[in-house]
Amino acid sequence: MSAQIRKDVIVATEHIKAPPEVVFPYFTDPALIVKWIGDRAELDPRPGGVFSLDMGEVVARGVYITVEPPYRVVFSWGIPGNDALPPGGSTVEVVLTPDGDDTMVVLTHRDLPSAHIGNHRAGWEHRLGRLRAAAG
Amino acid sequence: MAEQKQPTSAAPDAVLRALADPHRRQILRLVQHAELPAGQIAASFTLTQQAVSQHIGVLKQAGLLTERREGTRRLYALRHESLEPVRELLSEFWPDALSRLKQAIETDHPRPPKR
Repeated sequence: MSAQIRKDVIVATEHIKAPPEVVFPYFTDPALIVKWIGDRAELDPRPGGVFSLDMGEVVARGVYITVEPPYRVVFSWGIPGNDALPPGGSTVEVVLTPDGDDTMVVLTHRDLPSAHIGNHRAGWEHRLGRLRAAAG
Repeated sequence: MAEQKQPTSAAPDAVLRALADPHRRQILRLVQHAELPAGQIAASFTLTQQAVSQHIGVLKQAGLLTERREGTRRLYALRHESLEPVRELLSEFWPDALSRLKQAIETDHPRPPKR
């Protein structure tokens, strides 16, 4: 497996024991998304539709850019009033790849403010190792 | 013994507190790509020079600004590496969130035991 590591990108991965058809709605259904992120959600999962998440004091706002059930969803992400990360300023791409009966989730957060990801490479490789162990 | 004037790595809390104020974020934007004297920073605000100096002080304290003296002027610039703790928080954010996702899905959709 090879990985391109860019400084303005954060990649997170997870192996889930359920097929993509089951995993996908957790990124598009307000009742399901709040089970893992945020307290309240307003989601309109079609290109240009609102993506809005209340997470305690922080609010994430964006729009869906690409919605391809059950394999890929892209939405913009930002925090109103935060110049470093304005709404729509960064994008999150989620790719769901079948792995037998399971799903490999790869989440890529792009266009983050400023550079300097530095030692995150180690963290990323650690996660890859974990992923291999989980999939092994 | 030399005293350390500028922290080499600021705590995320201090950085986040410093970033919580819109005036301070505006200051950081001004000095993001160019080193500017305090007077020029103050000139782009309707705040008093004293209020701007206080904001600069908070940013310096959090390690977000570098200060350089040139004659009687003090020049300020963004210390880019100080945003690292914030990025670190973000980089923990998604793995933590995805592990909650895994837990939620595998709880909602348990696999029947294999025979």
